[in-house]
Amino acid sequence: MAAISDVNPFEAPPKGANMFAQITDNVSRIAETEKPPRAWYIAFGFAQILLIIFFGSLGYVIWNGIGVWGTMMPVAWAFPIVNFVFWIGIGHAGTLISAVLFLFRQNWRTAINRFAEAMTIFAVMCAGVFPGVHIGRPWLPYYMFPIPNQMDMWPQFRSPLEWDVFAVSTYATVSILFWYMGMIPDFATFRDRATTTVRRVAYGIVAMGWRGSSRQWHVYERAYLILAALATPLVLSVHSVVSFDFATAQLPGWHTTIFPPYFVAGAIFGGFAMVVTLAVPARQFFGLKRIITIRHLELMNKVIMATGLLVGYAYGMEFFIAWYSGGKYEQFTFINRAFGPYAWAYWTMISCNVILPQLHWIPKFRQNPWCTLAIGLVVNVGMWFERFVIICTSLSRDFLPSSWGYFVPTPIDLATLGGSFGLFFTLFLLFCRYLPMVAMAEVKAFSPAAHSHADHH
Amino acid sequence: MATSKAKSGSTGKEPSGSASNGGGHGSGGGHGSSSGSSDNLRLAEVGQSLFVKAAGVGVAALALSAFLGAGEHDNWVRFSHSYLVAFVWMMTICGGAIWWITIQNIVNSHWSLVLRRVGELIASNVLVMALLALPIVLPLILGNPAVYKWADSAQMLADETLKHKLGYLNTKFFAIRFVFYFGFWFWLSHYFLNKSVGQDTEKTDGSKTVVAMRRTAGPAMIVFALTITFFAFDLIMSADPKWFSTMFGVYYFASCVLAINSTLALTLMWLQKKGILKTSVTVHHFHDLGKMIFAFTIFWAYVGFSQFMLIWYANIPEETLWFKVRFVNSWGTLAWVLLFCHFVIPFFGLLSRHVKRNRKTLAFWAIWQLVMIYLDMYWLIMPTLGVDEVPFKLIDLTTWLGVLAIFVAGWAYRAQKVQLLATNDPRLPKSLAFENI
Amino acid sequence: MSDEHQHSPAQPSEAPLHGLLAEYDRPEQVLAAAKKIRDAGFTKWDTFTPFPVHGIDEAMGIKMTILPWFTLCAGLTGLGGAILLQWWTNAYDYPWLIAGKPMWSVPANVPIMFELTVLLSAITTLVGMLMLNNLPLPSHPLDHVRRFAKVSDDKFFLLIEASDPKFDDADTRALLNGTHPAAIEAVFEDRITVDKLPTGLVYGLIIVAVMAVVPFALAAKARYTKSSGTRIHIIQDMDSQPKYKAQRENPFFADNRATRPAIDGTVAVGDAREDDHFYKGKQGDAWARTFPSEITLSEATMDRGRQRFGIYCTPCHGQAGLGDGMVAKRADSLAQGSWIPPTNITQDYLRQMPVGQLFSEISNAVRNMPAYGPQIKTEDRWAIIMYVRALQRSKSGNVNDLPPDARASLK
Repeated sequence: MAAISDVNPFEAPPKGANMFAQITDNVSRIAETEKPPRAWYIAFGFAQILLIIFFGSLGYVIWNGIGVWGTMMPVAWAFPIVNFVFWIGIGHAGTLISAVLFLFRQNWRTAINRFAEAMTIFAVMCAGVFPGVHIGRPWLPYYMFPIPNQMDMWPQFRSPLEWDVFAVSTYATVSILFWYMGMIPDFATFRDRATTTVRRVAYGIVAMGWRGSSRQWHVYERAYLILAALATPLVLSVHSVVSFDFATAQLPGWHTTIFPPYFVAGAIFGGFAMVVTLAVPARQFFGLKRIITIRHLELMNKVIMATGLLVGYAYGMEFFIAWYSGGKYEQFTFINRAFGPYAWAYWTMISCNVILPQLHWIPKFRQNPWCTLAIGLVVNVGMWFERFVIICTSLSRDFLPSSWGYFVPTPIDLATLGGSFGLFFTLFLLFCRYLPMVAMAEVKAFSPAAHSHADHH
Repeated sequence: MATSKAKSGSTGKEPSGSASNGGGHGSGGGHGSSSGSSDNLRLAEVGQSLFVKAAGVGVAALALSAFLGAGEHDNWVRFSHSYLVAFVWMMTICGGAIWWITIQNIVNSHWSLVLRRVGELIASNVLVMALLALPIVLPLILGNPAVYKWADSAQMLADETLKHKLGYLNTKFFAIRFVFYFGFWFWLSHYFLNKSVGQDTEKTDGSKTVVAMRRTAGPAMIVFALTITFFAFDLIMSADPKWFSTMFGVYYFASCVLAINSTLALTLMWLQKKGILKTSVTVHHFHDLGKMIFAFTIFWAYVGFSQFMLIWYANIPEETLWFKVRFVNSWGTLAWVLLFCHFVIPFFGLLSRHVKRNRKTLAFWAIWQLVMIYLDMYWLIMPTLGVDEVPFKLIDLTTWLGVLAIFVAGWAYRAQKVQLLATNDPRLPKSLAFENI
Repeated sequence: MSDEHQHSPAQPSEAPLHGLLAEYDRPEQVLAAAKKIRDAGFTKWDTFTPFPVHGIDEAMGIKMTILPWFTLCAGLTGLGGAILLQWWTNAYDYPWLIAGKPMWSVPANVPIMFELTVLLSAITTLVGMLMLNNLPLPSHPLDHVRRFAKVSDDKFFLLIEASDPKFDDADTRALLNGTHPAAIEAVFEDRITVDKLPTGLVYGLIIVAVMAVVPFALAAKARYTKSSGTRIHIIQDMDSQPKYKAQRENPFFADNRATRPAIDGTVAVGDAREDDHFYKGKQGDAWARTFPSEITLSEATMDRGRQRFGIYCTPCHGQAGLGDGMVAKRADSLAQGSWIPPTNITQDYLRQMPVGQLFSEISNAVRNMPAYGPQIKTEDRWAIIMYVRALQRSKSGNVNDLPPDARASLK
């Protein structure tokens, strides 16, 4: 008995007479155990520290004004917007996995789509904080919405910033709806396995009384397909609208027609990197190696490679057309990025986004969980720097040399950025603890046991 | 007509016995002409008659075009523009095919396997495209700036904004690039076709070929992306050498994907009407092609809108002039036609799954979109003529017909030589039994 | 295969039969069973599975749902709504030019058109799905069947309701037995679960609903009524600053004015203008005839005077001071009849006017010419007068007044 209690309960094989029961047990026990694994506590503690730093810095900014950031002419838009684009980008991978891979019938997505969708929601929450606080008077956000007000004024719908309001709101709403809908059958599982009244009632309410009727599954499946079909162009549109924030301007380095698909590819790139960054520890510490297999990691790494190459293509196009166009401001911008005062940021970006991910061409690298994790982290860093390079270097040296300036972040800038990870990880770890981490119903539906005959897709 | 009987022996890899469509049994190993279906897999006389007819029509149409072109007495300017539109339209199909076979290999797609050989044949027709390119490339090299003003380097040097581009936009470098594009495409398409045909007669189960093709497809796609982009820059964007757009390669690519999916649907329908591949390609495959046409209609609109809106919004004269010329008078009408007929109407038309699963309606939309792609290319290139109104003339029709017919002739010629289904591919049973939700 | 009558202890066995439930271990079994029940012509029956079983729609004869139509309608509503919203707010209700773009900028409206289409479609899809599925469904007779809890785990069920016209106790049971289930169980109507919401909850909800209206009512009242009180100002936003602005009331002073006049008998530091010659152009009671000592009679001063003359004086008086400036020319062309032309400053009487008087007229206004004293510094006014003298001299001089080298250029 003593030996058994030393064993990490998540490492043990799941209980169940057949594959379906094993899947149920493997996933449900994570939320049902009295104590989560020790790694969870350590991560949660760390996340809480960052969360406190986050709320502290936000409070400081709202109280004192945004002058406490390094944002200053000419770099009038810096860390907050970089962080916003960074977090929204990370969110896109979840929707891609849920919706786009569903439409492409990539059934391997069922192992990761649930926590990827959760990641999307939390990333969008982190992202949404930044436009909220960086507007200078965060107690007037209703200006952004078409609400009748005492000034009889309406928002300016011709502005990409207004499009952003609608795009991000829609994205947050649709992601939450899609995520929730996916969880209904799994909430039913939790409800039916609940041992305490509190759990039974809580999961019962959110399960809406789901009992697995096939007639209900029929409508449910259609709704899932429709939401996937809606979410696919939505995810393309959201980051395109974010890119419009920059591309509609006349600033060299910003005004490029390829920005929309370039940003979308970059978002998926960074988002998948975050998914693998979360997947590797999750499968390790929650005992999900049978569900999230090396094959899943390998496929995700291939997506990372593909989107990384798309991003590299866009870099190349920008550079070539800057030369081809003959615009001397445009040409200077690109030379300046590589050799000017922000060259350190630029080369960080290139090594992290273009060079290092090429390691995944080698099977040994892309099939190794720890290499996967390492490159995932590297790509996240690279993608943050990509937004920084685009936004801050273009602003710091634009048309008039007398207006040039060098942006330096203040400690509050850095604290807000680091702290936002606190919010993200807190929410994510709570999700792991209390909500179904893997889409059990979907995994069962595509497991071999469900396909014992005649099913070729 | 070589009909093959089904071999019910299974390699034991895939559980056989799909009760549903088309007699999908496990493929027999090691027998070249065995198939997973009892279908006719060869073009034979049908192909020969198509070849002869298409070649005849093509030669006649091109001759008529040359005659009409000479009759314009403008040093072939009108002819070149017309021909270029037809050429780049045809290239959306051929280039789209090259992309299509590469991507199917990269993602290890199962459903599309029954279509693969047909796609490979369209792709490897790039040799014919290289020949069809001569009426554009030769005059350029001989110094006739019919479409491309930059071919006149003296004029380039005289212009402040153009002279620095001479390093890129000169006939010599253009020719080198052109040879590279077509050389690479020729190599890639033939690699896939040869490997694929070789797989038919492979002694083992064909999986080694699958892996080899997949390994090549990855790096090849990178080079393809660059070649198709610069092809679009060189042939279409440079017609107005002062204009530029980083999105342009993606814009052309979107049309390529739309074109190939439409073409595959139409080609397979034609083959089935002639009694070939009758049961191998089912309503489920057509449904998927329909979904792709639908999806890339939206994608084309997205790319086109992004390119337009960003330039409209910033309102920089250097960039907007290109659009202004294309919005004036009947060019503007054509632009509206493109918005509604290339996007809005097909969007609603292809929304229903019944439309995608019905051969007649799918064929209708496939043809519709191919026509719209032609109008799109027309709208991109023709304004370089410097005319204020859309100058539709007979020569546009004859050049288009000529290019298309020669291409079809080339395809028919080649397609007669191979069987039209990759019978020895281990993924074939899944593809034959494919069911769409 | 085996019959089990398992009642939960509190379930009265005289509750009417709801239906017969069969349990299966594998999806193929429930699929095969479904086909049999469908073929037997039952209509009120269903299968229950932990995941959607492939092929069960067909096996049960389930028809395609109408949900996509809901989505389509919602999407078109969203699209139309977005167009209407953006047109009405920016092009009709409060039209407002931004960056020279059209009032109704359709390309700029496209992103929001797309987003609202998707938003409304998605919400309608989820809500529609719940409605079509009759969810939330808090209670169902099957909840009292213990084995049914495995439906969300790994077991498959088939239920035929007793209310089906083809239902017969024995025959239906036999039919189900023929499908080789792991178990068959009778399900009884639910007489335990209370169907109604607890009255306390209902009252609570009503109270909350009524209270929820209050803030909106208050807002409406505030919006449409007038009040003599000040507004409730939650975030001060530097709106009320503790300072007195010009032209406002200030109760500290007897005259209640915030704008204070200069105090009698005081002169601000640096403001003692004692030199009448310099500041007023007077020497004693007479107009000064010479320039004050503060002014250096140099090339630099003349240059300054020319420059300032060019700025302030030429619009009316013209470049040569002849009274033919642009303002005068325009007034002439308008010919409205009320225009008095500016003076030709090269006239004799002005040539003879003392510089001090000229200075005074420039500074304090004369006839239709406004006072330039507030606009032009004192030094500059004297410089202008120096230049005016030069202009006057130029009109009355002869060629011998020019230095020899300048004479040559006239030829």
